[in-house]
Amino acid sequence: MKEKMNIRRLVISAMAGVALAAGSTAAKAEKTITLAAFADYTGPYADIMPLLQGSRDKAVEWWNDTVGKEMGVSLKLKIYDTRYDTAQTASLWPGIKSELNPPAIFGLGGPDVAALQQRLPDDKVPSLMGTAAYGFAWKENPWILNPRATYAHEASAFLQWYAKQKGGAVKVGLVGSEASPAYVDMIKGVEAFAEKSSDIEVAGVLLTTVQPADLTSQVRRLVKKGAEVMIIQTNTSMVVAVKRALQALGRSDIPVMTSSHNGLPASGRALGDVKQMEGDFEAYGMAIPSPESVDAYNFYTMLKDKYGLNVPWNVLSVQGIAQTLFTVKALEKTIKRVGADNVTGEEVRKTLMTEKITSEEMYGFYSSLSFNEGGPFPTEGMSINIGTIKDGKYAVAATGIPVPAIEKW
Amino acid sequence: MIGEFLDYAINGALIGLLYALVAMGFVVIYRASKVFNFAQGELVVVGGFIVWWLTLGMGLPWYFAIPLAFLLAAIVGYVIERLFFSKLVGESVFSMVMVTIGLLILIRGIVLVVFGAQVRPFPTIFPLKPIIIGDVLIPQSLLYGGILAVIIALALSWFFNQTRTGLKMTASAEDHQVALSMGISVRMSIAAAWVMGSVISTIGAIIFLSGKSLTFLASEIGFIALPVALLAGLESIGGLILAGIIMGVVQGLAEGYLDPIVGGSVGSILPFFIMVFILFVRPTGLFGWKTIERV
Repeated sequence: MKEKMNIRRLVISAMAGVALAAGSTAAKAEKTITLAAFADYTGPYADIMPLLQGSRDKAVEWWNDTVGKEMGVSLKLKIYDTRYDTAQTASLWPGIKSELNPPAIFGLGGPDVAALQQRLPDDKVPSLMGTAAYGFAWKENPWILNPRATYAHEASAFLQWYAKQKGGAVKVGLVGSEASPAYVDMIKGVEAFAEKSSDIEVAGVLLTTVQPADLTSQVRRLVKKGAEVMIIQTNTSMVVAVKRALQALGRSDIPVMTSSHNGLPASGRALGDVKQMEGDFEAYGMAIPSPESVDAYNFYTMLKDKYGLNVPWNVLSVQGIAQTLFTVKALEKTIKRVGADNVTGEEVRKTLMTEKITSEEMYGFYSSLSFNEGGPFPTEGMSINIGTIKDGKYAVAATGIPVPAIEKW
Repeated sequence: MIGEFLDYAINGALIGLLYALVAMGFVVIYRASKVFNFAQGELVVVGGFIVWWLTLGMGLPWYFAIPLAFLLAAIVGYVIERLFFSKLVGESVFSMVMVTIGLLILIRGIVLVVFGAQVRPFPTIFPLKPIIIGDVLIPQSLLYGGILAVIIALALSWFFNQTRTGLKMTASAEDHQVALSMGISVRMSIAAAWVMGSVISTIGAIIFLSGKSLTFLASEIGFIALPVALLAGLESIGGLILAGIIMGVVQGLAEGYLDPIVGGSVGSILPFFIMVFILFVRPTGLFGWKTIERV
């Protein structure tokens, strides 16, 4: 009888112990922070969204499994399909705010900026982007924060580097469109930079439609005016049209520079073969998706091997992982500062305004980030990386090229 | 100086002829049904994707793929008419026009779902090397496109004005009920117009996109061609050639001389300005039919 009692006591004690242990583990990982992630599954970027979101998801999974576990915090992304549309984003946001009141938004692109720029300061929720910034959104006290300078800053950094490579001043042809304010902004910014620079001269500006019929004649005008390099940060169709024009004119010595969203692999594919982009460049403030970007590539490989990331090593995986690292580091620093229970949008923004996120902390995906109240992107210490096609293969041409200071335009 | 002027003007004229070719799709459908097809640009995209699918997707040689693409485009045009317009015979033109707006959204959605939004290479049908005469540079795709536009315009003018079938189609557009009472099959006329409009759009896609890239954004050419159709008058196929040349030359010269001064894209706005002006002073366009109503 006594033996039975002892066994019962032992079983009860063991069960209580297990329950307590489970309870304490649950309590440690109990705090869940949910972020709103803007996505486009039914709009113009529907085809690439699974790649971008897939990269975001796996990077969050890694954080939960490592840093989050230690801190007793679990991050969750709630995805909202904005269709990359300003009106849709504007109509979704009040619901998201009342349902989640997230401490941060995973931003998507220009439409979010247009839809939420005015109201986020009142809602006290920062939107952390993955793209470069725009001159028209370069305003004080920002709540939409970009880990990259403006497209114009990135193009200007490239031009400075290119002039140095050439050993003298460079005449540039700017190709864009009036189809979007962002496209116009890219050109205005480079013009503003060229005005103050002794190394860069704008040979001419070519404004066309988003899907041009033929640009041979227009490109010839730029070439006649002495353009030695063409900057095209708009879309892939324009890169293809300009490349065809340069090929028709027999001017393969004039390189084009693209950005991340219309980069060399994508433009090469649209031309039929990436070898046709030999000697051309892409330049942006993120790691170049080449194994030569060692730290970033190793991190990507770890996500692939350990967390089953099923996205190729390309600009989309870079963008998705980079944006996530930027966001989780901001949250991590906020949690350390105020505790997991006190993480709010205001506190996340305060962290970004007061603390630096180093490039090492983001595995080299971005350069080190020190935001200030002067604008939506760090105005100092930013750099770009440059990719190229060399001997038919995608390669890194230069890394850590400093972004120049440009006055607001 | 003169060479530069000729370069702007000739290239402008050739681009204008491409717009005229796309605008022929508007006019053919309008001539047979009095319906203004807002989805014309989307038909260009569909034609482009059919050509891409057959050539680069299936790997067929272009001389085999292109006739097949015309056949498939004709089937697409026929199916569109059967599904959306055959039931509307005798209904108001307004209803039909509204259907074309719905069609625009539907086709865009289908293209995105089936082919995705990524930019694809379009086969090089015409040689890439331009013809250079002094200062004048002529892209071969635009040159052949211009010649083709003139030939097709002449053939369609003859068809609509001289053949029994063409005249029946025109009569159908005048009044469905009257045409039916005269034994004309309005459904067949409208179906034939959609088939022709769809095939013409595919020809336009080949010239527009040869050697370049293809996305759903190619549909923009439909709206760029709109001022050409309105300047010519929506019933005049022959008039499209002259209207296309006028619009193209104006655009080319504006791009060459005004854009650098203004620092903006005057060339792309000017055709629409002319369109609005024409609608004010001569709503029927330069060669459109004047309707006399007896009360």
